[in-house]
Amino acid sequence: MKLSKLRTIIPVAVFIVLCIGLIGGIGFGTLSGFGWDTISALCPLGALTTMIATKTVLPRAVVSFVIMAALVFVLGRAFCGWVCPVPVLDRIRNFFRSPKKRKAIKEAKQHEMVSIAREELGCGHDCASCSSCKEKRAKLDSRHAVLGGALLSTAIFGFPVFCLVCPVGLTFATVLVFWRLFANGDMTYSVILIPAILVIELVFLRKWCSRFCPLAGLMNLMSRFSKTLKPVIDDTKCLETDKGTPCSRCAIACEADINLRHPEYGERTLADCTRCRACVDACPTHAISMPFVYPKKGKNDGGAQPAPVQIANPVDKSAQ
Amino acid sequence: MAETTKDESAQKGATNGEQPKKGKEPLSVSRRTLCIGVGSTVALLGLGALRYVGHNPLCRPPGGQDEARLVSACIRCERCYEVCPHKVIVPAHVEDGLLGMRSPMLSFDAGYCDFCQQANGGVPLCCEVCPTEALRLPEGATAQNTVIGLAVIDQWQCLAYRETGCRECYDACCEARETPAIELTNDASTPRPVVIAENCNGCGACEAACISLSAGSIAEGAQARAIVVKPLASL
Repeated sequence: MKLSKLRTIIPVAVFIVLCIGLIGGIGFGTLSGFGWDTISALCPLGALTTMIATKTVLPRAVVSFVIMAALVFVLGRAFCGWVCPVPVLDRIRNFFRSPKKRKAIKEAKQHEMVSIAREELGCGHDCASCSSCKEKRAKLDSRHAVLGGALLSTAIFGFPVFCLVCPVGLTFATVLVFWRLFANGDMTYSVILIPAILVIELVFLRKWCSRFCPLAGLMNLMSRFSKTLKPVIDDTKCLETDKGTPCSRCAIACEADINLRHPEYGERTLADCTRCRACVDACPTHAISMPFVYPKKGKNDGGAQPAPVQIANPVDKSAQ
Repeated sequence: MAETTKDESAQKGATNGEQPKKGKEPLSVSRRTLCIGVGSTVALLGLGALRYVGHNPLCRPPGGQDEARLVSACIRCERCYEVCPHKVIVPAHVEDGLLGMRSPMLSFDAGYCDFCQQANGGVPLCCEVCPTEALRLPEGATAQNTVIGLAVIDQWQCLAYRETGCRECYDACCEARETPAIELTNDASTPRPVVIAENCNGCGACEAACISLSAGSIAEGAQARAIVVKPLASL
């Protein structure tokens, strides 16, 4: 509970600080180009597209890209869970839903995950031979198509096309145009258009982060090689493997649409983990931890306990 | 509607996996992927075509005179706006074209561009911080030889042309420029300012100083100041 608040508070605080800097002119840039003086950490997608568009190698863009890749390698998509303002906007949007709708969405997800768990627990297969709890190999998804489209369009037309509609940039732009409207009397239709694009992206393109965002797609490409700080289930504690009770609260809590317990059924794989620790918090038996180094594949029969249901062989589940 | 498709795909997704057990469902998830992929690629290509629509010419900050390069490289990170010591860099309006929206342009409402003479010894800070080199001065470019735009006087609005003796722009120009780009002519009863085009680099000191809009009843109906820096491409 505390952590989920923190995941709202931190992005909001970062956003406010950057906005004050933007307005006051003492700033550190925005999340698209964060830095001080001549030092800048560029958005990796912006760095990539601007180099494609100008067909030149920009030292600052290359350095930013490499640093970002290294960060993603260690922290996965932590940017998405802890810094990016877009998930916060999504939470704000959720706030404006009717309580009925909110409840319905929550229950639908809960129902879906629990029935997956129930089905899996009662599948009757010998778990050692069943593949469905093995981690799904990270494949390309719709975000990579959006990423490809953005790069293609940039290559053809020679300018960073996605930057025009990037919700991260538009969030800052919204603050800037409103500030200019009230402080400088700068009347422009941008005041309407910029928030309108944002609202369209968040309302009509459902699940922006896990289905559309090309930046997430780009990070996913690197994050799939990450072996650090990923959530791991201790099968000796997990309700499903230990007691055979359908639970899947980790899957219900996950904001990145990963099903940690039954990875095959998640919309996304662990490559998309934002290290948000929602699953760690949600686990009723504290079976989930985030060790610095992800345990290697292989047998770890050590903690195997005789479980009341036939699914209880923990080997496959903890492995991989 | 979105909810039902989601549930459908979730159910189908349940039987879709590395080893499709029943073999007939795997379309559903990839159909959504296909729709999103094709839809957004088309949308992004459409946005890209804005390049051919273009936008109205704008006065660009120092180093942004190569318009094609600026459009290609600017990622709208907004660093130039915040670093500008005179706050003359502003995001371009959508009215000037969707392509240029939020790209940096100069607005001389409150100040002018001195190429950061005071703040940074003549090296524009915007060029220095621009991470993508969208703003980049060529070798040897200075405030004297870089042309941002050209000051144009609207004689219908200019107070000096109404025999008021106003010379705000002339004074501002003399202060800002080594070789002033405005001279006062004496062929009327009161002196009138005239722009010397070859000396003007479009720094905006004259526009910032012009009082035609604030000088009450005389300026009735005016949309802009009587002396305005216009981008070269618009002249």
